[in-house]
Amino acid sequence: MTEVAFDVDDDTIAVVEDTDLPRRLKDNVYEELEGRPDATVEDADELAKAVEARYVDTRVEPLDPVGTVSAQSIGEPGTQLTMNTFHYAGVAEIDVTQGLPRLIELVDARKTPDTPMMTVYLEDEYATEREKAHEVVWNIEATKILALGDVSTNVADMRVQISLNQDTLTERMITAEEVAEIIEDNLGVSTVQNGTEIQFGPEEPSYRDLLQLVEELRDITFKGIEEISRVVIRREEMDDGSEEFILYTEGSAFGDVLEIEGVDASRTTCNNIHEIHHNLGIEAAREAIIEETNNTLAEQGLDDVNVRHLMLVADMMTNNGDIESIGRHGISGSKESVLARAAFEVTVNHLLNAAIHGEIDELDGVTENVIVGKPIKLGTGDVDLRMGSTGPSTQAD
Amino acid sequence: MVDVSKHELVPEHTILEDDDLEEVLSEYDIDRTDLPKIKRTDAALPDDAEIGDVIKIVRDSRTTDQAVVYRLVVE
Repeated sequence: MTEVAFDVDDDTIAVVEDTDLPRRLKDNVYEELEGRPDATVEDADELAKAVEARYVDTRVEPLDPVGTVSAQSIGEPGTQLTMNTFHYAGVAEIDVTQGLPRLIELVDARKTPDTPMMTVYLEDEYATEREKAHEVVWNIEATKILALGDVSTNVADMRVQISLNQDTLTERMITAEEVAEIIEDNLGVSTVQNGTEIQFGPEEPSYRDLLQLVEELRDITFKGIEEISRVVIRREEMDDGSEEFILYTEGSAFGDVLEIEGVDASRTTCNNIHEIHHNLGIEAAREAIIEETNNTLAEQGLDDVNVRHLMLVADMMTNNGDIESIGRHGISGSKESVLARAAFEVTVNHLLNAAIHGEIDELDGVTENVIVGKPIKLGTGDVDLRMGSTGPSTQAD
Repeated sequence: MVDVSKHELVPEHTILEDDDLEEVLSEYDIDRTDLPKIKRTDAALPDDAEIGDVIKIVRDSRTTDQAVVYRLVVE
């Protein structure tokens, strides 16, 4: 007997478990029955059977064009998505691309999203103590020289002078010696460090070189991860009622961040599906595609798109072990049929190439059969029906 | 190194035994090359998986309780 988390008797469980329903629907049936304590086993059986009949009825039939249905089901609400690239200041004031541009970016499988971001969860005391959480922030956020102190140029002596702020140094857990060392390594100059003052200059006195050095100095990342320009820290209530600190980052470096102490490597995510693929594998990438497309639609109030359509898209995109885009460089471009490819985009190129290489179209798919005016091999188009020449007596066999 | 299998986005991956594989292939009436693929370099792949193995993946499904899918390891 299966364990059921609802207060119903064993006979009821037996009749419900006997149906062909998935777990989620069985639980719904139990929930309904729980609320009707006077329902008999017969009632329960009738209810379960009715739900089952409805469920079996709504399943996809053999030869149903699921791809076409998905395309329409995502395409229609897609017309209601915002078309501008305007960034909606969503969670924690981090700009994230929304709406249609984001959806296109996902199905095109762009190498980097327009606005990369990460949601970094923390573990243990890092998640509960603000001080500890800030430690992680300084290890992630790229610290540039201007955040650490003032930079000035002394034109008379041809020197760059940096006066560091001791409080900032302590807070960001970096010493003046380290700063000086990083400057020497990156710029190839020798520095003179005295307390929080650091000085250096070009080898030959040259005004241009001096300005060049200042420019380069500004670009050095002293602490944290180069790609991550900003981190926002937020205290959020979790599902179980407890509160914890969550970091939102502008820019992403998923692999690097997972390695940092205090980061919870089991929940942290980013919005770059390629980074997820690289670090967590193709199955995680599939999950991320579903999650991201679903969120993008839900954000615009279009969450009534059935998740199965998005799952189909994600399955197609991850089918060969790599993330493939939908479109002429990906899935549509790798179709077997010349006519199907030509019907999609850049018609002339496809026909020309096919002619040059002497390609043959087997007319197996839908598009090419529509083009040549033959019935398509889907639904009723793929079954042959003949009038029976045998009598009704043999039909029962 | 981070333990990838602990991440909540990563479902359970196990190598499918040959007997079970035959059963799966005959159930769907397909060849193993018809299965979806997974790269040998994939981060979530079990360490001892080799090219040609079939990986059984048990996902927490959004539409049913659990969904079992199979992927063939390719270079």
